[in-house]
Amino acid sequence: MVPESRRDRRRWQVPTAVVVLGVMLWLSTAVGRVAAHSGSLRGATRDPVAVPTWLFLLTGGGVVGVSFLLASFVTDRRLVAAIHDWARPLPTPGRIGRGLAGVTGVAILAVTLGVGVAEDATGVRNLAVLVVWVGWWGGYVASTYLLGNSWPALNPFRTVAERLPTLSRSYPERLGAWPSVAGLLLLIWVEVTAPLADDARLLATVIAGYTAVTLVGSVVFGPDRWFGSVDPLARAFRLYGRLAPLGVTDGRLRIRLPGSELPDTRLDDTGDVAFVVTLLFVTTYDGFVATGPWAAGVRAVADAGVPPIVIYFGAYLVGAGLFYLAYRAAARAGRAGAETYLSAGELARRFAPSLLPIAAGYHLAHNLGSVLVLAPTFVAVAAAPLSPPPSPPQLAGLPGWFGGLEFAFVLLGHLLAVWVAHATAYELFPSRLQAVRSQYGVTAVMVCYTMLSLWIVAEPYVAPPFIAS
Amino acid sequence: MTDTEPDTDVPPDATAHVCERCGRPFTDETYLALHRGLDHPSTLSTAEREAFDAARSEEEESLQRFRLLALGGLVVLYFGFLMTYAVVT
Repeated sequence: MVPESRRDRRRWQVPTAVVVLGVMLWLSTAVGRVAAHSGSLRGATRDPVAVPTWLFLLTGGGVVGVSFLLASFVTDRRLVAAIHDWARPLPTPGRIGRGLAGVTGVAILAVTLGVGVAEDATGVRNLAVLVVWVGWWGGYVASTYLLGNSWPALNPFRTVAERLPTLSRSYPERLGAWPSVAGLLLLIWVEVTAPLADDARLLATVIAGYTAVTLVGSVVFGPDRWFGSVDPLARAFRLYGRLAPLGVTDGRLRIRLPGSELPDTRLDDTGDVAFVVTLLFVTTYDGFVATGPWAAGVRAVADAGVPPIVIYFGAYLVGAGLFYLAYRAAARAGRAGAETYLSAGELARRFAPSLLPIAAGYHLAHNLGSVLVLAPTFVAVAAAPLSPPPSPPQLAGLPGWFGGLEFAFVLLGHLLAVWVAHATAYELFPSRLQAVRSQYGVTAVMVCYTMLSLWIVAEPYVAPPFIAS
Repeated sequence: MTDTEPDTDVPPDATAHVCERCGRPFTDETYLALHRGLDHPSTLSTAEREAFDAARSEEEESLQRFRLLALGGLVVLYFGFLMTYAVVT
């Protein structure tokens, strides 16, 4: 009798899941349209019907909330597990492929440093700038979450470091992943405040500095420890790689559904949690300093005699701290809601990977446009790096629907995040109602983050005052 | 399901229902019964199997209640947005 009714239940569970997915897709296209309206407010004339900002923000937050409610209708544990366990093995690239990737990485680094120092051209006429910002930051970083994390093979710093002797000093364990959080904050701080997209020599200096620190670090602690614990780039790509459809599990390259590894991802420690939250924060800060209210605020405080760089740095650290505290509070709310003895730290560690699709969605939305526009520039300058054409070609512009596509990436990131949190909660709790309640905190955080981010995206771009970029 | 021990934090004055197989503490007897059935299904005694089935149907009932509430929430959100859009634009 009981198995009978269970089978019945499963029979309608699968159609429910299909309906839920369909509704989510429909919602995402609907909001894509609304978003496109608001996004084109800057263009003003193209779209006469515009939605007021507050309603636009509320809609974005509403979609995340609705997708949480819809995901909570999928209550068949076996279905949730089946989606996340699907994987197929692929042929593993041999040692030759790995060696080639390593040599390519080192060659690209050498060319970038060489051109950066030797060539006087600035901005997009300089190959070093294009390699770093278009090729690497825009294109390659996207490949780590869209395809798979190839950084361990390509990483030129590691290729060099592995050929150096090592002192194998023991790494202070109590620091955990925190040095990589500091490293990430430092790198993005330099990126936001220094004119690294114009001044190729400065860019080459920064890369040389990073190379020196990395090599010294891995000589002292050994490459495995350095790139495993301290190096922020290796950690960021490792985390993004968990989201990707290609990945290595049990020593084999496998293809899987995007994001399906995330519910099984166990972060190292609280530092690792802070790292994921910081990944989200730096994207927000980057956009936030280019809004009108921020420019007005900075000018007002600077008029009172505070040095602008202090305001920028203060807001940066305070913002990062607030993001982390908000996430910890969400984890505590989840613990209280779910009636569980799992510690708040455990919940923070387990739910943090569900934030990664959001970070990836924003990265893609921010960078895909400029990568496409500058791709012809890249080819033209790469053909003659030491005598670049005076005005290298660019794509004249992107079609109007591209703005909608960018919002769709952001939204897809959020929907995937909601689903990953759902699957994580099902892994963690024996009762499915506990699983739903445990997500209240993290869902509230996602709704607030969506509204904040959409506000930033909808604000017209204002060049950040007092800093060079 | 969990291969490494999850980090737990039991308040000193609380009485935890501890799984005798893996040591994980739970706040409620039904959660423990569900956990046994889901994570250690091959070693259940008859009593534990019955407790699991009972907890399971209790969970199913509360889930039904939650589904109704969630559906209500969806309806409120849907019509809320519909009305707002109708008034504003």
